Amino acid sequence: MNSIERINATLNFEKPDRVPVFPQIFGLAGVMAGVPVDAYVRDGHLLAECQIKAIKKYGYDAVFSVMDTSVEAEAVGGILEYKKDMYPTMKTYAIQDKDMIDHLVLPDPNVAGRMPEMLKAVKRLRREVGDEHLVVGCVMGPLTIASQLMGMETALYLAIDEPGVFIKLLDFCTEIAIKFGLAQIQAGAHLPMIFDPAASPAVVPPQFFREIELPQLQKLCRIFDEAGSLANWLHIAGPTASILPFYPEIGVDIANFDYYVSPQQAVALLPDLCLDGNIKSISFIEDGPEEIAVKSAELLDLFENRGGFILSSGCEISPLSCPENIAAMVNAAKERG
Amino acid sequence: MTEETMKLLVEAIVVGDCTQSLDLARNLCDSGISAEEIVVNGIEVAMAQLDEKCTMEQFNLLEIMLTGRAAMEVIKFLFPSGEMVMARKGTVVLAVLEGDVHDIGKNILKMILIASGYQVVDCGKNCPIEKLLDVIEAEKPIAVGLSGLIFPVIPMVKQVKERMQARGIYGPKIMAGGAALKQSSKENLNVDFLAETAFDSVKYLEQLAGGELNE
Repeated sequence: MNSIERINATLNFEKPDRVPVFPQIFGLAGVMAGVPVDAYVRDGHLLAECQIKAIKKYGYDAVFSVMDTSVEAEAVGGILEYKKDMYPTMKTYAIQDKDMIDHLVLPDPNVAGRMPEMLKAVKRLRREVGDEHLVVGCVMGPLTIASQLMGMETALYLAIDEPGVFIKLLDFCTEIAIKFGLAQIQAGAHLPMIFDPAASPAVVPPQFFREIELPQLQKLCRIFDEAGSLANWLHIAGPTASILPFYPEIGVDIANFDYYVSPQQAVALLPDLCLDGNIKSISFIEDGPEEIAVKSAELLDLFENRGGFILSSGCEISPLSCPENIAAMVNAAKERG
Repeated sequence: MTEETMKLLVEAIVVGDCTQSLDLARNLCDSGISAEEIVVNGIEVAMAQLDEKCTMEQFNLLEIMLTGRAAMEVIKFLFPSGEMVMARKGTVVLAVLEGDVHDIGKNILKMILIASGYQVVDCGKNCPIEKLLDVIEAEKPIAVGLSGLIFPVIPMVKQVKERMQARGIYGPKIMAGGAALKQSSKENLNVDFLAETAFDSVKYLEQLAGGELNE
């Protein structure tokens, strides 16, 4: 089986030749190729080259055209600060005043900020791996884009103080994600992962998620489905147990779960959904290959009979991580067969 | 009557209703209740109730932010010139160290600490260690709180205790928290306490004050 066949079998709860492995390697692919993270996130060709090198070396199942959480906000007008070897940080928010919300202009993915670089990376990755491996693009979820556009505290206070204005902002953010995600699918991404850290129950209560964010995510998933996305992969880290039951209603096909949620709990909450997770991200920095191999084996044991599982980390594997740990995770799945 | 109003004030702060909280605080003042009593029997009780409500599973930033904002509005009303009469439990220095610009966790801890009776000196985000050490030297806090959302800040956190000691500062305890730091261990970070939530830090400070943690 190639990676796409393996992933399709897993999505359908059929038996693949082995469990798929998705090490969530973004900036680390740059570091491993000797490219500083700040250069990696600004150059689509470089990003693609580093991803190709990494997948060739370790032989896992997906390449990622993922930069950082600020791509959409920068495209709207946010000003970022780039420091050597680090992900960029927001220096000036695009929305300084809530009155600006009525005058926002939807960014064009072909010209705005780093969006074209990301599309370049997607195209190059698809050209290189074809349908052998999964090409994963990425859009931020609406709430995360809103937080990046005006700052998380300001955005959340607005949600409570002026819900009508906030929904207008969120609708705009959803439109950005739709346009950017569709451009990625058109450029060759098998799927745009929806990354929504601000929607974590660590940030907003589950009722807020259900009433405010769920309809937006539902729309996003429906449109990606119609555009031919292979699957909808929703990535929310942290203690997500209280929102996982909403995922089928949203249209999610792959649910990421972080170390806060036990595999048993994730299975109980989502018996019919493909899951990916959940090795603690910091383990890839602080632990050695033996520990990663043990943790991987434990997860593979737990999901052996159930299926519908992709071996992964609970969140991004940081650029500070030890590359041997990637090999340990991939080998654990390959050795199991 | 005043007891009932105080109870309503606690409820209004817990749900984060700023307008209602301010109205009730004003009523209490008009009835002759002192600012200190409103802090101790109103704001601090509200913070304790929020702490009970916020189990690890239910802790979320939004609810804490709303409660914190209401508490801060009442404090501003009670102490318009900014004098921290109720900062009777000691000083805590807070910082997000250089390399990390995410300060929402620190800001929430700050609100909870102020509302719980501590004086807070905020070194802000992206703070160089040298600047933090200068502030610690000047303020002589009972504790230092370090918040970190991203992994690259970990090497900075690890240095703080050693560099404090190199300057001859041994008193303040170091507390750490935030999405990245709490995945690690206090031993690995070389800190005295690793908090799962902001309220854990307040409990730790209370234990310190009670002498339960003197080594």
